[in-house]
Parts: sequence; structure tokens; C-alpha cells
Amino acid sequence: MTTALTQGLERIPDQTGYLVISEEGVLASAGELENDEHTAGVIMQMVRTACRFRLHGTAEPPFKRMSVMFEDYVYAVTISGQKVFVVKRQNNQREPVIV
Amino acid sequence: MGCCFSTGSNQDDSKKPLIPDPNLDRKPTNGSDRNADGLSSSRKNDQDLHAAIVQRTALNIIDVSAVISQGLEQHEYMDRARQYSTKVGVLNRTWSQKKPVPLPSLSSQPHQVLAADLVSNADVQQVSKIAAYAYSAISQIKVDAKEELVVQFAIP
Repeated sequence: MTTALTQGLERIPDQTGYLVISEEGVLASAGELENDEHTAGVIMQMVRTACRFRLHGTAEPPFKRMSVMFEDYVYAVTISGQKVFVVKRQNNQREPVIV
Repeated sequence: MGCCFSTGSNQDDSKKPLIPDPNLDRKPTNGSDRNADGLSSSRKNDQDLHAAIVQRTALNIIDVSAVISQGLEQHEYMDRARQYSTKVGVLNRTWSQKKPVPLPSLSSQPHQVLAADLVSNADVQQVSKIAAYAYSAISQIKVDAKEELVVQFAIP
């Protein structure tokens, strides 16, 4: 079952690590996020808080993906089937250079 | 200053109530009593306190061993039973609501969502700017005191 979850994450372009987290704890981890329970804990708290946002009294959270952006990398987070998926990706976008 | 022991000549025993009133605040009299009467007065205060505690406990105790029941009518009994079960139901509901909210599902295609294009730098900069404006606006909230908060009333 874990292979089904992680196969798709492995293939994400420029990913450097991932986590699959459930209510009970970390289900799978790899790359730079391998065994990173601390990051898992922080991201769980962030995503739970974000899920409480609502737009104009709608019933569901108003987003599909939460991105935590740093200078060189990004944590992309989503929830599916009671599991939180986190993937660490390189942020290769560069500022356009004005010559 | 006062004698260490006396036979309580300062207290008018004939006027003292047999059962001391627990509502009477005995604190202010303690100091003066102790100076005047010493041991017997403090013992009396202890007795009063003890009596107050006993009385309070007796009021709060429900004696389930009482054989002679109050004689509840059938409808009264049913009313009370219904009242209690409603109350218990409310408590059960609020207690079960304390469980953490389950995680909502944001997508049925998590890999697709995560593999999609990252947020563009332009968007990040715009959001950062908006957040900076909001922070600046909030930090400028202040109280503009126009009048004195405390005024003197002039009562003619």
C-alpha cells in the first residue's frame, strides 16, 4: 500500500524528498525528508490551521495545495484520503534579469 | 494590654444565641476578643466554625438511606427522568464534539496536485507586498485620546 502512495511522489519533477503523514504519524518518508518527524509535525499543524480557513462561509477549505516557499525550495502539501502528502521540490524559478 | 485568661466577664452570655449564625463574619471580633478573653474566646470561635461547617455539610448532603421517601407522583417522576436524560444527552454531545476534526480531503489526485507548477515568483512577491501593507496598516492602529478619561463631577 505504501508503494502505491509513494510511487507517484517519486516521479514528481525536481523533488528532493517527501513525507506521507496520517493522524497516527509518518507513514512514509524519503530523500531529504527521510525520518524528519519534526518537519512532519510542523507541517501537520500548519495544514490543520489552513484547513480552518473558509471563503464566504463555504463548507470546504478554499485550496487544493499549500505551498511553504523558501528561497531555493518549496514544501508542497495536499490532503487526500485522510493522509497528508508533503513533497520537497527545488524552486528553480529565477528572477528575470534586466540587462 | 489585656489579661491572658478570664472567665469571660466581657461577654453577655444570656444574649448569645444558642446556635451561632454561620453567616456572621466573626473575623473583625477575633482580634479584640483574643486580647480580652484569650483561650475561652478562641475556643468559642473554633466551636462556631465547627458548627458552621457541620450545618453547611448537613444542607449539602443527600441522605440516600432515608427509608421514608418524599412520595413522588408518577408524572413528576417521569418528568424528572426525562429532564435528567435530556441533560445527560446534551453533555454526551458536547463531550463527543471535543474530538479533533477529521482531515478534509483536498484532492483525489494528490500526485497530480503536488506535481503541478509551483507558485510563480511574481505571485509570491505580490502576496508579500499585500502582507506588508496589511502589517503596516495594523501597526498604525492607535488610540486617539480626545478627552480626559476620568472627570470630576461637580454636584451643586
